[in-house]
Amino acid sequence: MSGKIIIFGFGSFGRHLYKHLSGLNKEVIVVVDSKNYDATIPSEIVPRQINIKHNDDITALDIDAKKDVVYCAMNKTAHNLFLVLSLKTLYRDISIIAISNSFENARKLKYAGATNVIDLYEATSRRFVNMLTKPAVTKAVDEIIYKENDLKMAEIVLPKDSSIDTKLLSEIDFKKHGIVLIAIIDKEMGDELSFIDHRIDHKLDGGDILVVVAKKDDLERFVSFLHS
Amino acid sequence: MKTPRNFIVKFAYFLDASTKYNSIKTFFYNLLENDNYPYKKYFDFFMIFVILSSVTLLVIDVKHHVPKWLDALDLYFVTTVFVVEYILRMWVYSDVHKIVIEEYEEALFFSKSLKTSTLLKKIFKDKWEYITTPSAIIDLIAILPSYRGLRVLRVLVLFRAFKMLRYTKSLTSFLEVLKNKKFELITLLTLSGFFIFIAGIMLYVFEGNNQNPNIKNLFDSFYWALITISTVGYGDISPVTPEGRVVTMLIIFTGIGLISFATSIIVSSFSERLTMLREDRIVQHLSKKESITVICGFGLLGRLVAKELEREGVAFVVIEKDENLAEMAYGMGYKAICADATSEKVFSQLKIKTNISHVLCLTSDDIVNIFIAVNVKSLNPNVHVSARCSDEEVAQKMYFANVDQVIMPEEIAGMMAAVYEGEPVAFEVLLSIVDQKDKIQMDEIEITPQSFGDGKKLQEVEIEAMRVILLGVLRNCKTKDSEFIFNPSDDFILRAGDNLVCIGHVTAISNLKRKMQ
Repeated sequence: MSGKIIIFGFGSFGRHLYKHLSGLNKEVIVVVDSKNYDATIPSEIVPRQINIKHNDDITALDIDAKKDVVYCAMNKTAHNLFLVLSLKTLYRDISIIAISNSFENARKLKYAGATNVIDLYEATSRRFVNMLTKPAVTKAVDEIIYKENDLKMAEIVLPKDSSIDTKLLSEIDFKKHGIVLIAIIDKEMGDELSFIDHRIDHKLDGGDILVVVAKKDDLERFVSFLHS
Repeated sequence: MKTPRNFIVKFAYFLDASTKYNSIKTFFYNLLENDNYPYKKYFDFFMIFVILSSVTLLVIDVKHHVPKWLDALDLYFVTTVFVVEYILRMWVYSDVHKIVIEEYEEALFFSKSLKTSTLLKKIFKDKWEYITTPSAIIDLIAILPSYRGLRVLRVLVLFRAFKMLRYTKSLTSFLEVLKNKKFELITLLTLSGFFIFIAGIMLYVFEGNNQNPNIKNLFDSFYWALITISTVGYGDISPVTPEGRVVTMLIIFTGIGLISFATSIIVSSFSERLTMLREDRIVQHLSKKESITVICGFGLLGRLVAKELEREGVAFVVIEKDENLAEMAYGMGYKAICADATSEKVFSQLKIKTNISHVLCLTSDDIVNIFIAVNVKSLNPNVHVSARCSDEEVAQKMYFANVDQVIMPEEIAGMMAAVYEGEPVAFEVLLSIVDQKDKIQMDEIEITPQSFGDGKKLQEVEIEAMRVILLGVLRNCKTKDSEFIFNPSDDFILRAGDNLVCIGHVTAISNLKRKMQ
């Protein structure tokens, strides 16, 4: 996956998106609406200014629908919605992540064709509430997602003829590898994501996707073990 | 020097030092005046009972004969109760010995001599302040009917009914409402008094000279004017001359005006007071509870948090400055107070020192959030404060002000987006965990002392057999130096205070919780 990251908008959301996405060793393009150009953009970022109402401006960005990921992070939901619609009409298969500020707008953005919607306030309110009711969970989630440390959540696509090909889940000691397996997409059973509850002993084949939580180097070691 | 003055001063110091005296006084104070004191209720019921029985006797006495012993009981028992209550109330109203000590120390400081007469004057002035309060006057009048020499005084038993106002809060707040509209009500009274005066005199002039047999004197015509202007119109006195009828027609019109004026004053003042009364009740209700969570700000985020907290069954109260939003919160069934969270008043009403455990600053303005956080922390540094913030620089300032947790919505979006990048499946898992909408949830299980898990190896707990994924163990969750142990090995030994962080189906997790008890 070597596609570009395209962030629309450089307001309060776009800024934070840029901060986290620019650390991923990928080409990041920031696009802003020329009408709402914000002069406080730091000088090292050179944003592309377009008029989001013009399709020509968007096609001029040279988006590769198969590889690139687009983030709609304009400050106004109306603009995001408009963007999602224009992008979807231009490129059918494009992956779009949109930021929404309410459950209701999340629904609209999903309807418009956004692949995934980050419901900002929902996530924030969850955090506030979890802090009260489930402090340990909050701290664990902090470690995995919000803090910048080794621990991360990742997905592994099993290669063909991997070292664990055709094995059953119960035959593999993930713990030994320092990995906690959370969910799996077993291609034999369709594209549906299922959480691991040890009820079904999935058979692992090439193309299956494992969702794991692990330390960075353990993860790398595990991936190279798969390929061995 | 054995003067009475020295004795008084000494005695005052003695009282001040005596814990027994002070605790007795506090007890009576609570019983008589403190609405939050649990036993005050019983005292109030008792007093209402005494008053009602006394009034009942008065009514029965009109036509039937009351047995002598009952009359005696009414006379001695009720009077004693009232007199004792009156004296106790006067006693707890203020601390005489403190006045004495204050005066004495002031005199010492300025090396003046302390005169017994000025001292007594001060004390008397202080108590006189109590005697002249309206409720104390009513109390005093209610004692009077015990003097049987004057028959008229019997009617004053009804003042005992007024005394009941003291014991029922709703009635006192009714009077308070009227008090707030003092100016308007006085205007109204003067105005209607003026009209009654004019109309009464006019009718007397027109019909008092034997034209109308019902109007014998000025009192009759004033009575007629009041009955007419209030639109009651008994009809026992009615004008007979055309002039009198014209006067009647005029004052009926003014009467309608005055009555609607009065109604509007009272209604509007009630609707103004209603929210305050409601909030008073909320505050009173909450001040009895412990570990309340306070949500400051009922904007978009505040609403979402309130909804979630209600679902989780956490006791919380919303403080919102904006009247409309506070009203909205109330309409949604939450406990809401319209108040300024940046001031001390509302927090001390809610008893921040003992009853508040968490404060969430959720307004959309960072500066206001900091203001609230500092306000809360300065009142009680032990309250857990978390704040919403949209800027890193502000976040630093918040941490400097000892805010326990700062949450930046935009930051969360950024983090989540970074997880998404290239890994859409992992992101989906993350979303469903963060949202907690599905049956699959992330939860924690606390190991309590002497529970099933305490001291056991992880292997022995057999978490996997319960169809739950163990992500890790959080050690010392409640303290500052908590530590998240990711993916602990099989011979990891659990101990009390640990929290298992798991992912699994809701039922599976609750099964595991039951097992771990």
